Amino acid sequence: MATVFKLENASVAFEKRAVRHTSLRCALGSIGKRNRTTKFYGLSGVTLAVEEGEHVGLVGRNGAGKSTLLRVLTRVITPQEGSVYVDITKHIVPLLELGIGFQPDLTGRENCFLAGTLMGYSRSEISDKLDGIVRFSELGEFIDEPVKHYSSGMFGRLAFALATDVEPEVLLVDEVFGVGDEFFMRKCIIRMQRLMQSGTTSIFVSHNLDFLVTQCQRLIWLDKGCIVMDGDPQEVASAYREHEGLAS
Amino acid sequence: MDAASRGFLVFYVKSQLKLKYRYTCLGFLWNFLEPALYLIVLSTIFSVVNRMNIQNYAVFLFGALVPWRYFEQTVNSTMVSIVGGEWLLKKMYVSPFTFPLTRWSIASIEFLFSFVVVLLIFAFLKKTWTVHLVILPLSIIPWAILGLGVGLMCAVLFTFFRDVRPIVQMLLMFVFFSSPILFRRDLFAEHTLQAMLLGLHPITYFAALFQKPVYYGAWPSWKDWAITFAVGSVALAFGFYLTDRFKEKFYFYL
Repeated sequence: MATVFKLENASVAFEKRAVRHTSLRCALGSIGKRNRTTKFYGLSGVTLAVEEGEHVGLVGRNGAGKSTLLRVLTRVITPQEGSVYVDITKHIVPLLELGIGFQPDLTGRENCFLAGTLMGYSRSEISDKLDGIVRFSELGEFIDEPVKHYSSGMFGRLAFALATDVEPEVLLVDEVFGVGDEFFMRKCIIRMQRLMQSGTTSIFVSHNLDFLVTQCQRLIWLDKGCIVMDGDPQEVASAYREHEGLAS
Repeated sequence: MDAASRGFLVFYVKSQLKLKYRYTCLGFLWNFLEPALYLIVLSTIFSVVNRMNIQNYAVFLFGALVPWRYFEQTVNSTMVSIVGGEWLLKKMYVSPFTFPLTRWSIASIEFLFSFVVVLLIFAFLKKTWTVHLVILPLSIIPWAILGLGVGLMCAVLFTFFRDVRPIVQMLLMFVFFSSPILFRRDLFAEHTLQAMLLGLHPITYFAALFQKPVYYGAWPSWKDWAITFAVGSVALAFGFYLTDRFKEKFYFYL
């Protein structure tokens, strides 16, 4: 089995008070002075490998570095230290939030093409899938309306339908299951499960531990940018719950 | 640049061009009307208050003003492209060149539309047409290269230092007024300091690519071509280098 992601000792540091740094005065003022800015590590020394077909869950408190890790895996952030390997021959679809690449003034249909090309699909591939996307998202004729006139539920449904209908080989999901009403959510989870069974490598960030335990083969617990535990979902989940004082 | 970024670039440019005029009554016509109105106002003003003593001043002025406007437009819109692409660059991987190239392509396509208008206005203003006008499509290439190069450099600088924008605009204004776009190069006698400085001014040669065929009825010289292509290529190479060198830091400054 091929490795899809491999991180070695990867660290991502954010500078605090980054606001000041975008002015020339500050840059000129700091010439000659020792670097006085304080750094905040979003990730520090993370070593991790994900194999093809694995389903991995990420848990941790707010600010533990889960989203930063996903951004490193999608190559949006390049860590300042350590090395990152990403198999870019795969279709990686990041669902860091719904509707990435959507333009409010474009119609739903146009946005499907725009966001679809971003995910690496050709025009004809998207044309073929469009009917399915419209059906799944239950948008009907609204597909030709600008998405700025959509309700948030419609927007979310379209984005979810597009991201999962294109049959990604790797799916990175950051807490986006609050889409639409209860019935649509159920549809989403069924579709997610089907994708996972068909061999899509997937990495989930979620605060819904029960979902992660039942769906993933591996759970990673992050805290303050470091991996605390990486292994069997049951064990990691109970250790995490215990640590956070949630054990019942 | 990977295939996904390329595909996105093409589709995004098309959709932006469509969107710009989607909610206007005259729609696509604005592409032609906008430059036409601009040039008509200018030529009226200059034909009324013509003190520069240049025959057919409007023709002379438009010769270099048209490509200059294009250059200014590309630099200004490419400069803010990386920062403006935050909505995507922070969430999904696209090549760092995607947004600068998008802005540059939109400016270039709009310029091509306005160029049609310019040629029509020339037809009214110019008394005689010469064969030299056929070179104009070639003359725009060095301007386009220079615009992309300078635009990329400014885009990188602007990402890290937001005060670059007014500085760049001021520099552009200085370059504009110091180059022979508003006035003729032979305004100054040979061997004077001003003439010598103009000889060193790169925009003198860029302007010549348009002024010679449009106004003087002559071909641009080999020197003009060599200097403009050289300056343009150096700017482009440096712009690409800067973008590539700092691409991994953009995220933290968006």
